[in-house]
Amino acid sequence: MTTSSLSLAARRPIRAPRRKHSLRANLLGWLFLAPAIALIGIFTIVPFGQAILLSFQSWDGVSPDTPWVGLANYEFIASDPVFWASMRNVLFFGVVGFFVGNGVALAMALAVNRITRGKTFFRTVFYLPGVLSVVVVGLLFSFILAPGSGVLNRVLETIGLGGLQQNWLGDPSVALPAVAAVFVWFHWGFGFLLFLAGLQDVPKELYEAADLDGASPWAQFRYITWPHLAPVTSIVSLLTLLAALQIFGTVQVLTNGGPGYHTMVPTLAIFNEAFVNWRYGSAAAMSVVFGGALVLLSVLQLAITGRRSRA
Amino acid sequence: MTLITQPPVDETPVATESTRPGNRRRIRADRVGLYGLLVIAALTAMLPLLWMLSGSLQSLTELLSNDSFLPADPQWQNYVTAWVQGDLGTYLRNSVIYTGCAVAGILIVSSLAGYALARLDFAGKGVFTVIILAVMIIPAPAMFLAQYKLLISLGLTNNPVGYVLILITSGIPMSTLIMRSFFVSQPRDLEEAAALDGAGPLRIFWSVILPLAKPGLAAVAVIQGLGAWNEYLMALVLFDDNALMPIQRGLTAFTSAETPQQQILLAATTISIVPVVIFYLMAQRHIVKGIGAGAIK
Repeated sequence: MTTSSLSLAARRPIRAPRRKHSLRANLLGWLFLAPAIALIGIFTIVPFGQAILLSFQSWDGVSPDTPWVGLANYEFIASDPVFWASMRNVLFFGVVGFFVGNGVALAMALAVNRITRGKTFFRTVFYLPGVLSVVVVGLLFSFILAPGSGVLNRVLETIGLGGLQQNWLGDPSVALPAVAAVFVWFHWGFGFLLFLAGLQDVPKELYEAADLDGASPWAQFRYITWPHLAPVTSIVSLLTLLAALQIFGTVQVLTNGGPGYHTMVPTLAIFNEAFVNWRYGSAAAMSVVFGGALVLLSVLQLAITGRRSRA
Repeated sequence: MTLITQPPVDETPVATESTRPGNRRRIRADRVGLYGLLVIAALTAMLPLLWMLSGSLQSLTELLSNDSFLPADPQWQNYVTAWVQGDLGTYLRNSVIYTGCAVAGILIVSSLAGYALARLDFAGKGVFTVIILAVMIIPAPAMFLAQYKLLISLGLTNNPVGYVLILITSGIPMSTLIMRSFFVSQPRDLEEAAALDGAGPLRIFWSVILPLAKPGLAAVAVIQGLGAWNEYLMALVLFDDNALMPIQRGLTAFTSAETPQQQILLAATTISIVPVVIFYLMAQRHIVKGIGAGAIK
């Protein structure tokens, strides 16, 4: 959620007119900003620099020495199968979250926007999973998807679809899609809320006019709804994508990356490298490579959105 | 970034409903389909939670063998066992304290900063705005190790103060932008009147601006409160001491250390979501507003 307001500056750059400010005005401004600057400086900017520094050092997490090792950490992770498996897997989460998650969110927003009764009920229920924590979702679905006694397998048996039973989290070929499905269950409510808010801002007159002209439902969607939703869509897409790419707790509690590395994700790989293998240097190198990729993605998205809205 | 989505569901124009009686049957069928779809989605969202509730009231044998959904004989003592064994009282109390402090801190810091960006005129305002936006782009996986290292050197691991400071810091950028957009949309009259009456800037901020900003503050509080309550990664990294853990960290500690029986764990999980679900049901209006203000404006 942290990147959400980025479009604000992209769309309406704040350009203070160049003029002399009185000392008093400057002092006052910075006084109001001082707490924010102090906290962001100490707990975000310093660690960000430290993370890059640490990726060129070796650290076991305990000793005060952090000897310089140059590119050794990067060479190490370049040939680390766990890290690259995690990058491939997270790409899968990204694609599923992006297409399936956003697709469900948009479809349900369109449906709720068309009904008159029960709007609040459906809105409340659809977002409900989104207020749960990653730990709760992980624990809950580790029971639901368990082999044998797991409730999903028992339900399949009961309704005569016993042939579809799986060892959902233990079978390498179904574990990744199963965890991705849990991710979609957990996260689509957020996009749904934003799409619904966006739909309510589309002027009703446009649809009335289109009806009079005999425009088909598809044409109405294509030429009225979709263009009006464009800014919402680009923000929902970016946020869903970032949430999917940074997935951690759900996977850690559900499968801990297993079986093998079949559901390993980068944040979990970084965590394990540091707190299980005690190799903080290479963990930092992983976080630089992965974090860098995420930053690049956000900047790219901002550039595209910014250009589109200026046009 | 292009997005390919499924075609819209069922887009028959509503406006014709009353004007063309001949179509009424078709429209009713559409309506049934629409509600059918929504009910299926609602069940998908709710069933896992209802199963958790039901499972938490069953005995272990019933839970593992039974095909019926509802508990035959509700085992309310599961909740007592979970509460005592899992030490949930401690974890919940910790979470309430951490979340409360984090939200209070975020509200103070981000309303000050948001007000400065919206109303005050000073050199370097643009620079700070750019910094805030840049900071928002830095993802947590790129930082949590270094934050951990920093807190070690400050002696703040296993320490509520360190944890709350991290929570506050991570909430500031987005909250500041929400508060800024809220302040920008307010009329200036009251502030100007207060200034004419001789009130100083801090006095104006505290007695005039903040009371007016209640809706904005509520939206920020709800969004950040949910975030802080559910935070897991830093809690996992920072806390070894069970007495200090927030509920999310406490739940995983309970799972791994005690290996409790499944129905007890379901009861513990249910207890852990009660506060947040009640909070959500009471405050959902603000959630919609807050998410909208944070993401779209």
